[in-house]
Amino acid sequence: MQKLLLLVDKISTWVGQAFSICIVILTLHVSWEVFSRYALDNPRAWAFDFMIMMYGTLFMMAGAYTLAKNSHVRGDVLYGFFRPRTQAALDLTLYIIAFLPGVIALTYAGYYYAAESWAIRESSNITAGGPPYYPFKTVIPVAGAFLLLQGIVEIIRCIICLKQGEWPSREADVQEVDVDKLKEMVHVKDEDIQKLDALITSRRPGK
Amino acid sequence: MRVRKELWFGFALMAVILVTVLVLTPWSNLFDGHMSKEDLGVLGLLMLALIVVAIMIGFPTAFTLMGMGVFFTWLAYNSVNPDLAVRQTLDVFVLRTYWVMSNDVLIAIPLFLFMGYLVERAQLIDRLFHSLHLATARVPGSLAVATIVTCAIFATATGIIGAVVTLMGLLALPAMLKAGYDVKFAAGAITAGGCLGILIPPSVLLIVYGAVAGVSVVQLYAGAFLPGFMLAGLYIGYIILFAKWKPHLMPPLAESERLVPLPPLSQRLAQQNRNAVAGLWRALTGPGSAGVAKRTVLGQFIVALLPALIIVAILGVTYLVTTAPEKVASTAGLVQTGGLTAAPLLEEEGKEPTGLIGAPEAEQEDSGVKEPPAEGVKEVAPPAAAEAAKPEVVEKPAAAEPERLPTPTWFWIVCGVAIALYAVRYRRFDWQRLEIFKRLLTSFFPLAILILGVLGSIVVGLATPAEAAAIGAFGGLVLAAAYRFIAHWQATGLNRRSPGAMIWRTTKELGTIVKESMFLTAKTSAMVCWLFVGSGIFATAFALLGGQAIVERWVLSLDMTPVQFMILAQFIIFILGWPLEWTEIIIIFMPIFIPLLPHFHIDPLFFGLLVALNLQTAFLSPPVAMAAFYLKGVSPPHVTLNQIFAGMMPFMGIQLLALVLLYVFPQIGLWLPSVFYK
Repeated sequence: MQKLLLLVDKISTWVGQAFSICIVILTLHVSWEVFSRYALDNPRAWAFDFMIMMYGTLFMMAGAYTLAKNSHVRGDVLYGFFRPRTQAALDLTLYIIAFLPGVIALTYAGYYYAAESWAIRESSNITAGGPPYYPFKTVIPVAGAFLLLQGIVEIIRCIICLKQGEWPSREADVQEVDVDKLKEMVHVKDEDIQKLDALITSRRPGK
Repeated sequence: MRVRKELWFGFALMAVILVTVLVLTPWSNLFDGHMSKEDLGVLGLLMLALIVVAIMIGFPTAFTLMGMGVFFTWLAYNSVNPDLAVRQTLDVFVLRTYWVMSNDVLIAIPLFLFMGYLVERAQLIDRLFHSLHLATARVPGSLAVATIVTCAIFATATGIIGAVVTLMGLLALPAMLKAGYDVKFAAGAITAGGCLGILIPPSVLLIVYGAVAGVSVVQLYAGAFLPGFMLAGLYIGYIILFAKWKPHLMPPLAESERLVPLPPLSQRLAQQNRNAVAGLWRALTGPGSAGVAKRTVLGQFIVALLPALIIVAILGVTYLVTTAPEKVASTAGLVQTGGLTAAPLLEEEGKEPTGLIGAPEAEQEDSGVKEPPAEGVKEVAPPAAAEAAKPEVVEKPAAAEPERLPTPTWFWIVCGVAIALYAVRYRRFDWQRLEIFKRLLTSFFPLAILILGVLGSIVVGLATPAEAAAIGAFGGLVLAAAYRFIAHWQATGLNRRSPGAMIWRTTKELGTIVKESMFLTAKTSAMVCWLFVGSGIFATAFALLGGQAIVERWVLSLDMTPVQFMILAQFIIFILGWPLEWTEIIIIFMPIFIPLLPHFHIDPLFFGLLVALNLQTAFLSPPVAMAAFYLKGVSPPHVTLNQIFAGMMPFMGIQLLALVLLYVFPQIGLWLPSVFYK
């Protein structure tokens, strides 16, 4: 079971990471566009459409990846104080009453939305003769489906946790605040911090 | 046991809310579609209560909003026409989602995030901190002042509060403790400084607010600029006063720690002349004294004069802009040099030739750091006609209009002040200062130019926020590449290795940096933007049910004055800042406040600035102050959380003071936007 869960995690992660290349493309595209506009006097009409598409695809496709890494923002007032079983029970309830209806609705609605766009071969409503928009709209149901898949895995995780009393493991990923990496970056070792501690404790009696 | 008590308190609160919901829900006619308007409105408020409970429980907020939003939207439609309800709900949901996907304001979010992650990984923070610390060595409480400045610059460029606080906890806290600073004070300075990043533009918070409130992000940036620097200035002022008042809590640095080791060239020249500029000038013109290469000396000399050259360039541009229709070919370059030669000082003589040759030099220096076209475009004209030998000829091609506006008096005043300042500065410019300045040049200025370039191009209107963000991200990439290359260069030594291997290793490291930044950007922007997706449908439900109308009627029935309303609103936001993150507060709760603003004649722009300032406190207020926990994570075990909290209190007080100041003098925030966007 754990293998299957990790496999789905991996798929979500892979998809999210693959689409995160959009940010690099977006950066280079816009930088070139601005340069081209001012220095070469050669703006391109479809540039804005392309920007929108890269941005929208980036964050939609990263939804499942973010869920797999447990990085969606939580109100962490009480959650951190709960025992794992309580956490799992609450999560499970909300996955079923909030997550599933919401994401299923999104996927289903997105499917018809995209299908209509495909049917008329919709193109940009921003630029005349702009790029086709139906692939971009297809992102909604696809992202929804991946999210749903990942959500089911999370529900299974909750059930496992309810049974075992502890959360099944996840694979590590790059962290926003990775203390060890940051320590390495500024060449601070744990010993240094320990030494500093001695400084504080020695100072206290003198005060 | 304390934890348990908090838990019970939380549960009790939730239970009260849930019971109220259960009692007040109009169960009897919930599903058969016969609900009166009042029922619906009550339902809207109940939904809000439910959401608050769900958020407090700790389920990912985006999905809570989505699920509840879909359900309550369906309820609202169902009460009107049950046959169409499902179809309408799905339609409105997907349209709201698509609105987020194609939002031209929100594009800037991933780009600014990307820029931040790249800049963070350029690993320049220790250089930045050490050079600033040396530069401020004479100021009382210098380490704390340097901490605030480093935080302000670095947090502004990266916007990642956790990383900034952690890094400063590793760098500045040991330095301050070793220097004998008070633990509480050191912790306070780090945490308060680290949070400046969400206020000083380019901040993601302001983009999110702009998207929610429909306020121009450009104006928000222009508006937040002065309050942001005002807050940083207040922090610094407080530190300096405090250091004067209680020097034993912040002892000044020992003389030995202020000294910078001089390179051999400077040491040799320093024996001849204490003033760096004069010494360099003599070495340059004199008969090959001290046996140093003239090229090196010339390089140092230009570096030493760089600030003056940049000022000359800025004044020149200002002159050209203020007297826009140009005919008379007099230029600021000439004016400046003339003014400077008049000064009787020896070193000023050196400025005449370089003043003229050097102007293009300064421009090169600027664009070398890959800044957006803010400067570049303005200065395209002079190089275009670069074959001309003297600058006054250079501007001639641009001149077409017959009349040139008279030069305003303030320009001459600024000129005079600049000349006086620089005369004093160069008189006291010794070799130590030259060395410190060189260090600042490699750490502080690239970042400052990056930020100012991004902001400048937005505010002046050369680029949309999204475009400027993209160029900023590109600049971050260049910055990371440059600093990593320099690091490898210094590590391997100048001539020992072939440059190929070094470039290869830099490229490989840069690959890792880009990859990590890319993944983090994807995750963080997904977090923010999915919250928008969820809140979109939630806000729809709230509006459809008429909850918004009830809130409005209720608030209006209180018959408050604008001041009272403002205080109430800020107080609520302050309270919300304890348990919630700023993303949730702005995305979920701002839409409830914004429609109320017109009733009280409050400018949403101004309100946004107040909110941004207010949310600074959210990171510092005790129960869930993120900044404190990040700092605790890297501080020595004997630094307690209580000490950190106690240290943050005075800085929170300053934040409140800043809030009051901004409220009493709205011009602090509204002046810049009104200048730029009349």
